[in-house]
Amino acid sequence: MDCKEALEKLYLYLDHEILSESERQQIEGHLQWCWRCQQVYQLENNLQNLIRLNGRNDEVPPSFFSKIKNVIAQF
Amino acid sequence: MVETKEEKKRDFQELLDPELASLFRTALRMTRNREDAEDLVQETVTKAFAAFDRFERGTNFRAWVFRILTNTYINNYYRVRDRRNIPSLEEMEEESFFQPVAEGITPEEALLNSLTKDDIIEAIEALPVEFRAVVVLVLVEGFSYKEAAEILDIPMGTVMSRLWRGRKLLQKSLWEYSTQRNDSERKNQEGWTVKKP
Repeated sequence: MDCKEALEKLYLYLDHEILSESERQQIEGHLQWCWRCQQVYQLENNLQNLIRLNGRNDEVPPSFFSKIKNVIAQF
Repeated sequence: MVETKEEKKRDFQELLDPELASLFRTALRMTRNREDAEDLVQETVTKAFAAFDRFERGTNFRAWVFRILTNTYINNYYRVRDRRNIPSLEEMEEESFFQPVAEGITPEEALLNSLTKDDIIEAIEALPVEFRAVVVLVLVEGFSYKEAAEILDIPMGTVMSRLWRGRKLLQKSLWEYSTQRNDSERKNQEGWTVKKP
């Protein structure tokens, strides 16, 4: 696998969307020896983690849960 | 066996409870307003309960209820004013955020280190709604491409292209926030230096 193909499939790999085991191994093999693609992978992965962590970090008001419970009780 | 209304409510509540916080967060990202987010979830819950007889038990409740949420948002909350100028794929192809360098801390690493929660949230909420929905579902809530396609009722290829463009737009915004902040800090430091005796 060359850099072009590795970078094309990088997001699929990051998102755990690659179904084939051999494709996954090819990407991992490429990332092991190619520092340029490894660097891009690390940055994309770090950014993705930041997005997930911060995007899920909102405080949900306790009153919201009781509000929804009351809505369901009235059905 | 016919389910009583109380049994139906109990089953519904059991499935809904673990998803409520995620539904609220997603509603908040979509509406960008806490009051609207609460209303959107409340409306979603009402619709979901009304349709609960048609929900096939044992299938993916999370994807099912998120689909109701996104449809409700698109039908009732999404306004034409939310539509923005979306750069073409060709324009975005030219923008490269992450550039490998030979050694040391790259500007991109420095950027990641300087980002705050508010920067990330602002960048997500500034995305055009088509991209925001996919980014929130896949990157924040962890849905698969296939699930996101079902929730949004779009082909999986469209999920992939919107996600790709959403990521590039996010990177562009975050890069701009960081650059503006660094410029502003530098100007402040320069101003302070001039004023010092």
